[in-house]
Amino acid sequence: MAAVLGISALYHDAAAALIVDGEVVAAIQEERFTRIKHDPSLPVRATRWCLAQAGIGPDDLDHVVFYEKPLRKFERILHHTVAAFPRGIRGFPRTMRVWLGDKLWTRTLLARELRIPADRILFSEHHLSHAASALLCSPHRDAAVLTIDGVGEHATTALWRGSAAAPFIEPVAEIPFPHSLGLFYSAMTAYLGFAVNEGEYKVMGMAAYGQPRYRDRIDRLLRRDGRGGYELDLDYFCFHWHPDRSYTDKLVDLLGPPRFPGTPFVPEGVDPDAPADLVADSQRYADIAASVQAALEDAVVDLARYARQRIDAPALCLAGGVALNSVANHRLAGEGIFDHLWIQPAAGDAGGALGAALWAWHCVLGHDRGPGLVRYDLGRDFDRPGTAELLGDLQLPFEDVLEDASESGLAERVAEDLAEGRVIGWFDGRCEYGPRALGHRSILADPRSAAMKDRVNARIKYRERFRPFAPSILDAQLDEWVELAPAARDPARYMLATPTVRADRRQQAAAVVHVDGSSRVQAVRAEDHPRYHAVISAFAARTGVPMVLNTSFNLKGDPMVSSPAQAVATFLGTDLDALYVDGFRVGRSKR
Amino acid sequence: MGIIRRTWIRLAGAWAWRRPNGPVRLMAAFSQAERGSSYDVIAALERTERRDLRRTYLFHALDESRHARIFRRRVQALGRQDRAEAALVDAGSLRATGIIGEAPLFEQMGELEFLAFVYVVESLALEQFQVYCDHGMPDPDTIAALRAIADDEKFHISYSRRELEKYRAAGRGAEVRAALFRVRARRIWQAWLRLSRRLGDAVSTLWLWALYLVCVAPFRPLARVEGGGWRTRDADPRPIAEFARAQA
Ligand SMILES: [Fe+2]
Ligand SMILES: [Fe+2]
Ligand SMILES: [Fe+2]
Repeated sequence: MAAVLGISALYHDAAAALIVDGEVVAAIQEERFTRIKHDPSLPVRATRWCLAQAGIGPDDLDHVVFYEKPLRKFERILHHTVAAFPRGIRGFPRTMRVWLGDKLWTRTLLARELRIPADRILFSEHHLSHAASALLCSPHRDAAVLTIDGVGEHATTALWRGSAAAPFIEPVAEIPFPHSLGLFYSAMTAYLGFAVNEGEYKVMGMAAYGQPRYRDRIDRLLRRDGRGGYELDLDYFCFHWHPDRSYTDKLVDLLGPPRFPGTPFVPEGVDPDAPADLVADSQRYADIAASVQAALEDAVVDLARYARQRIDAPALCLAGGVALNSVANHRLAGEGIFDHLWIQPAAGDAGGALGAALWAWHCVLGHDRGPGLVRYDLGRDFDRPGTAELLGDLQLPFEDVLEDASESGLAERVAEDLAEGRVIGWFDGRCEYGPRALGHRSILADPRSAAMKDRVNARIKYRERFRPFAPSILDAQLDEWVELAPAARDPARYMLATPTVRADRRQQAAAVVHVDGSSRVQAVRAEDHPRYHAVISAFAARTGVPMVLNTSFNLKGDPMVSSPAQAVATFLGTDLDALYVDGFRVGRSKR
Repeated sequence: MGIIRRTWIRLAGAWAWRRPNGPVRLMAAFSQAERGSSYDVIAALERTERRDLRRTYLFHALDESRHARIFRRRVQALGRQDRAEAALVDAGSLRATGIIGEAPLFEQMGELEFLAFVYVVESLALEQFQVYCDHGMPDPDTIAALRAIADDEKFHISYSRRELEKYRAAGRGAEVRAALFRVRARRIWQAWLRLSRRLGDAVSTLWLWALYLVCVAPFRPLARVEGGGWRTRDADPRPIAEFARAQA
């Protein structure tokens, strides 16, 4: 037996991923254990669980692979602290404390906490891990690989050549820090009043309400160089030296005052009774968001054209935080630069754990490529007897639908609940790896009426009204409902592309069509998730609409639920009507 | 003891409510604390050997997450900067404030000590809320919210006390006393740790500033910020095994 464990940690989203004899047997983010969203700390619990899942101990690991090179990163940080003299003094103490305290000793820390000999620890590179997480999961051999995020060691954007034989991945070109599309988008996320690393989706949602009226000004911040690359005007940004801020007063002079966090967002045409100045302000922010999104998309398209120029291959693999921008992905797919787009669902830093492990397995240890990875329910599951005992102890009314009615009966029952307007918590099997709920830890609802969107936003997720919901749709019927760019077929499988819904269909699925007519679909195939596929099919048979509203099973600010007890607590703490846990249907009881 | 503590809560509270943005910061901190304890109580529910307590833990957890929401709504209503939302996703701040430790409290403590912890902490929180309300420190809406929450806290105190009583009645009084002692001692120890960490940070900041000015300044001319755009990159010249072992 040969086993390799990948680790991403100490920056964003810590995770662990385990490969045994070439197969990815477990992968999970640390936040699913600690309940701290985006928990960056060393994934001790995730690691322990991965090993237990495979029935092995730390001694059985041939290698542990950290997803980046810490010393190179430290060098970059020092360099920019010096370059920012004297204003870099503000962030210097905190940076030094963090690095001298923990990060510089990554090897020792890993060895001690994970209880493995230090000589078995390997170090990938940040963008190399991203690249591996995309290419080595994909079905493609010869491919261009683009990785775009905030920053790794030095690079913020990198291009790689994927090939069928060793070394599988080779570097081609990169764009250095601080010129970063990810950090550009994050800075604008902060400007628009959302939390960085969390609110980027909200900017994408907000952009649909606006027009790119600020495009000329945004183009001053983010300059495309006409040779496929881009550059930031660093007078407008300070993330490279300021400890807490990402943009300067000069940006405020250019775009006006930033949006105050928590301010209601009421753009034109949403609420006739809203005060005029609030509407005007909201519209301005929507227009800025639209301009930022458009600028990002154009830059990504430029990068892809450059990639195609350098690498003659039909497929493009994308990874890094920017690859989670599903609107940009679909735009890119529609440009016709590449025939296929491939994005692995944990495209952000959590995916670095999987990428690091795959890189070591194939590129360092020299194992051949397999068919790729299509299922990403790689996380923790729970046994049914334990769940039955828990529900009994909690004295909640529940039925074992799976036992009483079998698989098809279960699908029918869920479809009936949904068709009758009930919103349900859906907890099924192993949890997803990555930020999206793909039918294992989901809240499901009837997608047909717009009122459902408001209800789920306001009374279940406790989140902003303007935010859209996504549908899970039967893959076979996808083209009848949306205008999907052919290259986006794979990304649509993982909710990573946002096509336009056909105009004559929008009324029929009002809860999952965004204000601009788009929808971030998940195309469900029976082989990806049979039980979920059966539920949607049963709903389609009842209603003629082959999709359900699917949003992650959590409350605002919480990570997704990962255990039945957390699912029950979230169910009872919200306005959900019913809860399904691995085939049990749970109702409410009075206290 | 009681009077000293109440006076201390009053003095510290007067400062905490009146400092700039004080009410918002307090509400945000309370919201985080409630949320952290909801996680901890769910973890207890999952791990307990006392199956008869699971339902009680569930309702306790639901109370705490509702409290977290109430406080978050106060943050928004008070209108000033809503740092709460940002803070809620800032894992670093949750850890730094010790609201969520490495392992769930239940794992660190075990059943009896966890119950002792609930009893002690909930009693202190209730007392704190009462002093704030009695002295009219918060605005009327916040007082109403605190009073509503206080009713739930009474339930948390009463069930944990009842359980501790059961342990005493079963002849485990010494264990209960020891657990209560450990919980109180740990609180003092942690307060001391927080204080000394702050002091340490302050002192090291001064040193690091000096270091920055003296040691970093001379290198300034050597460090320049690169321009953007693509640059070609060659494969690392090292053999792959060597490259893989290197941290740089
Ligand atoms: Fe990254
Ligand atoms: Fe509470
Ligand atoms: Fe409480």
